[in-house]
Amino acid sequence: MSGWGRPGGSGGASWVALVLAVALTGLVVGPRADAGEVTDMLGRRVRVPDHAARIVSLAPSITETVFVLGEGDRLVGVTDYCDYPPEATRKPRVGGISTPSFEAILALRPDLVLATSESNYAEHVQRLVSLGLAVYVIRPVDFETVLQSIERIGAVIGREAAARARVASMRQDADAIVRAVAGAPRPRVLYVVWPNPLIAPGRGTLISELIERAGGESVTGAEPLPYPRLSLETVVERRPDRIIVGRHGQGTVEELLRGWERLGSVGAVREGRVYGVDGDVVHRPGPRMIEALRALARVIHPERVP
Amino acid sequence: MTPPPVFAVREVEFGYGGAFRLTGASFEVAEGEILGLVGPNSSGKTTLLRLLSKVHVPDRGEIRFRGTPIGAVGRLALARDVAVVPQEEQLAFSVSVEELVLMGRFPRGAGRLFEGPEDLARAREAMALAGVLDLGNHPVDALAGGERQRALIARALAQEPRVLLLDEPTSHLDLLHQRHLVGLLRRLNRERGMTVVFVSHDLNLAGELADRLLLLSDGRLVRLAPPREVLDEAVLEEAYGCPVWVERLASGRPVVLGVRL
Amino acid sequence: MISRRRVGAATVVVAGGLAVAGLLGLATGPAPIGAGDVAAALVGRARSDLAATVVLELRLPRVLLAALAGGGLAVAGAAFQALTRNPLADPAVLGVAGGAALGAVLGHLWGLEGSLAATVGLSAAAFAGALIAATTVYLIATSGGWLPVQTLLLAGVITGLFFSAVITLVVSLVDFAQLGGILHWLMGSLGIVGYRPVAVIAVGTAAGSAMVYAQARALNLLALGEESALQLGVEAERVKRVVFVAASLLTGVIVAQTGPIGFVGLIVPHGVRLAVGADNRLLLPVAAGAGATFLVLADTLARLVVQPAELPVGVVTAFCGAPFFVYLMRTRLRRRTP
Repeated sequence: MSGWGRPGGSGGASWVALVLAVALTGLVVGPRADAGEVTDMLGRRVRVPDHAARIVSLAPSITETVFVLGEGDRLVGVTDYCDYPPEATRKPRVGGISTPSFEAILALRPDLVLATSESNYAEHVQRLVSLGLAVYVIRPVDFETVLQSIERIGAVIGREAAARARVASMRQDADAIVRAVAGAPRPRVLYVVWPNPLIAPGRGTLISELIERAGGESVTGAEPLPYPRLSLETVVERRPDRIIVGRHGQGTVEELLRGWERLGSVGAVREGRVYGVDGDVVHRPGPRMIEALRALARVIHPERVP
Repeated sequence: MTPPPVFAVREVEFGYGGAFRLTGASFEVAEGEILGLVGPNSSGKTTLLRLLSKVHVPDRGEIRFRGTPIGAVGRLALARDVAVVPQEEQLAFSVSVEELVLMGRFPRGAGRLFEGPEDLARAREAMALAGVLDLGNHPVDALAGGERQRALIARALAQEPRVLLLDEPTSHLDLLHQRHLVGLLRRLNRERGMTVVFVSHDLNLAGELADRLLLLSDGRLVRLAPPREVLDEAVLEEAYGCPVWVERLASGRPVVLGVRL
Repeated sequence: MISRRRVGAATVVVAGGLAVAGLLGLATGPAPIGAGDVAAALVGRARSDLAATVVLELRLPRVLLAALAGGGLAVAGAAFQALTRNPLADPAVLGVAGGAALGAVLGHLWGLEGSLAATVGLSAAAFAGALIAATTVYLIATSGGWLPVQTLLLAGVITGLFFSAVITLVVSLVDFAQLGGILHWLMGSLGIVGYRPVAVIAVGTAAGSAMVYAQARALNLLALGEESALQLGVEAERVKRVVFVAASLLTGVIVAQTGPIGFVGLIVPHGVRLAVGADNRLLLPVAAGAGATFLVLADTLARLVVQPAELPVGVVTAFCGAPFFVYLMRTRLRRRTP
């Protein structure tokens, strides 16, 4: 039951303890990095094999990254939620993102476990380390670090060049979109992570940043908490021009936002500018981030982004 | 040197916080005496028993037990000397008669977690005296009123007390068992010097058994005297608030025949 | 008559049952490790690294935790039932588990986790919460030095509801990302343990259980009612206080690690009482063993049903517990009610 110490959240103490513990161990063992010893995105020293042949992924974005780098074969275990690409659904399961089964992971005899600070728990990582596994943690909190995460995973599994190329192409696509929407007036955008209770992205989240890059102005982007729970009054009060709902396969936008038709004073509702995007793409800080950016840009500036 | 009275009650006052209040009670209970507490309903009889057994602490006044202020007497020490037979008991969980009687051994071995063979022997003796020896394994809540009362008496006897406090001990008993109980109490008093304080609404039985009667009315001690004096029409009328019909037998013993209509 | 020997014999029988349940628990899990591997690993001759790690590092501490938690909760439940003279009492009903849970939630949010000191600190926070809840209940229900049973139960229910409300408030303010973890814990979970929490809980349950057992004979007399217990020489108020604190300690130490797990404290003592009677000197050890066995089996089931995922163990105990509780209530209503 802990987090990694995001701004405004707690559980930071556990992150600090983890880093301190490993750093102190490093002091005892000696500062010289052995062949195969790397530093992950949390500053932890991890001993990884030169060519990890049995990789376990603890998050969908990581699974997607490994597949996109062409190394899907080396994945021996993924979470229950790893559904993209379709081949991932045929991989053995190790449990949920916040409820991994240690036994299942151990039984797969992995030589490398990939985890993310954004969804996995520090406690679980600690436990896996104490059970003798090499756990490499990425930290994809914003646009830049998502790209970095892809590169770091690439480096760790020995596909550095492919990763760099991938990231470069992602940057190009992103730049193209940003150029396309440059100069246009910024519509006020409300992104709905979850409709009931209403949960929207706040300050420092990837989604808010993507909205900005896509040429919109997130009406919840200044909220201090990352994913605040807001009342419907906020919808009225903040006068969004566009409402975008992250859908996860179930229900149409009308069904999800049932009752919102009453909010006649809201421009987005009145003019029918309420849209759905694929939540599985937008909420995952992985290789499909550019698709997410494009989807958002299409909704925000349909005239500029085909 | 005469031993101090078993109980010495001085100017005791006690209330439950409601309208009823026991006031200004002062009396003594001598060693080896049989004292009957009588009076109308809610006159304070049971309250007095509770004060004597240290269940309540008086608001005012003092109670001394064998010369020592009762507050200074430990509960266990008191329980080894004074045993109470309540009018009834609500058992939360089901126990057998033998288990119930064994609970009376607590004051004599509280430091130990388990009873020993000696405890079992004393308990069985008490059950025999009270006439419930063959009901040992029966659950208490399956017993009839009279049997249950005798089980409670057995428990009190198992404490090996020198003083017995009984609250309406004959209320559930048929005539035969009433006789038995009166006989038992008399025997214990004569043979073992047991001091007995009992509450009863049966004035005749109280008059027959007790050396003295303490008549309470509305929380006040109205009369403390041998039965002949207390079981008098004028005295009773004032306490009960209605005309009472008392006849005297040839022997001089008063018999209360009921209310005068 | 209950004798030391009879209690000893019953304890041995129950311990045997627990051992069997424990072995069953050790042999269950997503990793392909059978009973033979388990036995080998237990005696130090594991047939593979995987077996050694899974059995000794993952399953064994978990089974131990389940046993300790189940036993401790059963003892706490029996203690509360003796205190309140009501078979419907248990740590949850009296609000004590709610207080412990709030203490633990606040402790977690404050960052108490990781080290031994933190684990002890978390238990202390939960114990404090349990004690605050218990004290609140005690103060609300006591008048004039007496602790009447009916008011006690009512006060317990109200206090429990209040603490639930506070927990809900805290949960609603917590960051969305932490929400899943807290909600999961609130459903009762035995996961993610090493030997450290097991050690802390072992000490806590041993201490709490010993405190309760020392009062076992006095507790028997409390069943007669306050008045009769006092007249038999029981210092009723002191006994109640000691047992209250001990039961709160048990609840706190366990809830701190596992979250609130319901029904164990309610139905295990009840069922055991039907089997061996109400004498606490026999009831307490048998209930402890039965509770331990029950929770080990419940946790084994929780790990089996949706392998490799796990159900929260509180869900399994509720599913087993609720129907059994209804059955108990109905048979009770047919007999005399106290």
